[in-house]
Amino acid sequence: MTLTTRLTLMVLFCLAVLALAPFAGLGGIDDAAIREQILTQIRFPRTLFAFVAGAGLALCGLVFQAMFHNPLATPFTLGVASGASFGAALTVLLGINISLLGFDAITLGAFFGALGAISFVYGISRLNYSFSTETLLLTGVATSFFFSSLILFTQYLSDVNESFRITRWLMGGLSISGYQQLLQLLPVVTLSAGIIIWLSRELNLLMAGDDIAISRGVAVKRVRYLMFFTTSMCVGAIVALCGPIGFVGMMVPHICRLIIGTDHRWLIPASLVFGGGFLILCDTLARVIIAPAELPVGVITTLLGGPFFLWLLVRSRRQSA
Amino acid sequence: MIEVQQLSVSLQDKTLLADIEFQLDKGDYLVVVGPNGAGKSTLLKAMLGIIDIGQGQIRYQDQPVADFSQRQLAQLVSYVPQSSGRELPFAVEEFIKMSRYAHQHALSEWQPDDQQAVEDAMRITNTERFRLRQMSTLSGGESQRVMIAAALSQQTPIMLLDEPTSYLDPHHQVEVHQLISRLNRQLGITVVEVSHDINHAGQQGQTVLALVEGHSLWLGPGEDFLDKQLLQALYQQEFVFVPHPRSGRTIALADPI
Repeated sequence: MTLTTRLTLMVLFCLAVLALAPFAGLGGIDDAAIREQILTQIRFPRTLFAFVAGAGLALCGLVFQAMFHNPLATPFTLGVASGASFGAALTVLLGINISLLGFDAITLGAFFGALGAISFVYGISRLNYSFSTETLLLTGVATSFFFSSLILFTQYLSDVNESFRITRWLMGGLSISGYQQLLQLLPVVTLSAGIIIWLSRELNLLMAGDDIAISRGVAVKRVRYLMFFTTSMCVGAIVALCGPIGFVGMMVPHICRLIIGTDHRWLIPASLVFGGGFLILCDTLARVIIAPAELPVGVITTLLGGPFFLWLLVRSRRQSA
Repeated sequence: MIEVQQLSVSLQDKTLLADIEFQLDKGDYLVVVGPNGAGKSTLLKAMLGIIDIGQGQIRYQDQPVADFSQRQLAQLVSYVPQSSGRELPFAVEEFIKMSRYAHQHALSEWQPDDQQAVEDAMRITNTERFRLRQMSTLSGGESQRVMIAAALSQQTPIMLLDEPTSYLDPHHQVEVHQLISRLNRQLGITVVEVSHDINHAGQQGQTVLALVEGHSLWLGPGEDFLDKQLLQALYQQEFVFVPHPRSGRTIALADPI
C-alpha cells in the first residue's frame, strides 16, 4: 500500500467516526424534536470539539516525541499538562479575571503553567550533557507530582463546590453544550498546527539529533523555543477547556508512525486527523459505556494509555538491550 | 578560508580548549590528532556553531562565525559526526535529502538541483545501490559512506569529519580514506578530520594539529609529524619507526605493540 493510500484510509476512517459518533446512544429517544435538539446543540458541537482537542493533543505529543527523541516523552509524561492544570486551578482559586488577545484568565493561567513546567524540565535536562531519557522522564514525573500536590493545595484552600469542580475537571471531560468552547479552541489548534507544519523539516532533522540538525542549518535553539511556546499554547488551551486528557499525545503519534513512517511532512497531518478521530471514539465510548450516566473521557484514554506506555517501555528496553 | 584565532571554549568552569590557532586555505587537509578527551570533537563543534565559543575567533572567508546564520553556515561547512547513523529511523535517500535543508525554504518544493546534488553525492560515495534501505540495516562501512554522502549533498566548500574510520575494518578504513582524499583533491573541498590513525595523519600534503588537554601541542606538515619525541609527548607512549616495504614512507608503531 502506498503512503497516499494509507493516509487516505486514515482520513476516511476519521470521517466515518466523525459522521457516526453523534448518533451513538440516541436509541431510547423517540421525540423527533428532542432528538434534533440533542444532535444540534450537544452532539454535533461535542463531536467537533473532541476532534479539535484530540488533534491538538496528538500534535503536541508528536512534537515532544521528536524533540526529545523518545516516544515516551509527551506533554503529559513530562509534567507540562500538570503545570497547565495548576495554572488553571490557581486562576480559579485567586478569582483572577483578566483577558488578553481574546483568551480568558483560565486559558492564560494554563498557558503560563505549561510554559513554566516545560522550561523547568528542559532547564534540568540542559544541566548535564550526558542526560539520559530515563532521567528526563523521571524529571517529568517529579514535576508532575510537584504540580499535583500544588493542585491539592489549591483544592484544600477552596470551598467544597469549587473543589468538586476542580476534581471533575482534572479527570478530563468533553461535556460541553453549544459551540462557544469549540470556537475558542479551534483558532488555537489551527494556529499551532500551522506553525508545526511549517516546521516539519526541522522536526525531521531534530529526530537525527541536535548536532546533525545544527550542522544541516537548523537554528535549533530558536526552533525549540518556538515549539515550546506553540505546544504550551495548545496544551494550555485544551487543558483549560477540557482538563488534562492523558495519553492521547503518546498513543496517536506512535500508531501513526507505525502506519505512515517517520517523515513529519506526512506524520503531522496524519496525527492531526487520527488524533481527532481517536478522541471522538474514546468520548463516544465514555458516553455509552455506563449510559445514561457518562464517564469523563480522560478515564478512558488513561485506561488505554497506561498499558500502552508499559508496552512502549518494554519494547524500547528490548531494542536497546 | 578558515582562520582560528586564540580560540578558547569552556563548559561550566572546565576549559575544553585553550588558545587554539590555525589557518587553512581552500583545498587544505587538516588532521586533528590527540589522546581521548583532548578537545578534538569540541573543536569541530565550535567550528559548526554547535557549542558557543568563549574567547578568540573562528573566521570563514574573513567573516566571524557569529555573523553567519545557522543556515548560511550550513551552506559553507558540512559535518560527518562520530555516530554511525545506524540508529536513525530513516531510509538512506530520505536521510540524504534532509541534508538539503540549508538550500531550501519552508514549504518550498523539492527542486531539480536538490535532486541533482543528492544524486551526485550518492554517485561519488557509491551509495546509490542502497538508497531505499533503512539506515539501521547498513553495515559500518556502508553507513559511514551514507553519512559522508549526506554531508556532501550540502555542497559546502568545507567538510568536518569526526573520526570517520574509527569503527571500520581495515578494508573499509582504506575505502573511506580514499573517498575523503578524492573529495579533497578532485572537488577541492577543504577537509578537517579528527583521527586516531597517526600513520594516516603523517602523510605528505596534509597539516597536522596535535591537541593535548585542550591545548595545541604541535602544528605542522604531515611528513614531520611522525617524530619520536612528539608522539611520546602526545600519547605518553613509546613508538618505533620502520620504512614501509613498498613506498619507503615512515610508519610508526606503538612499542610494545
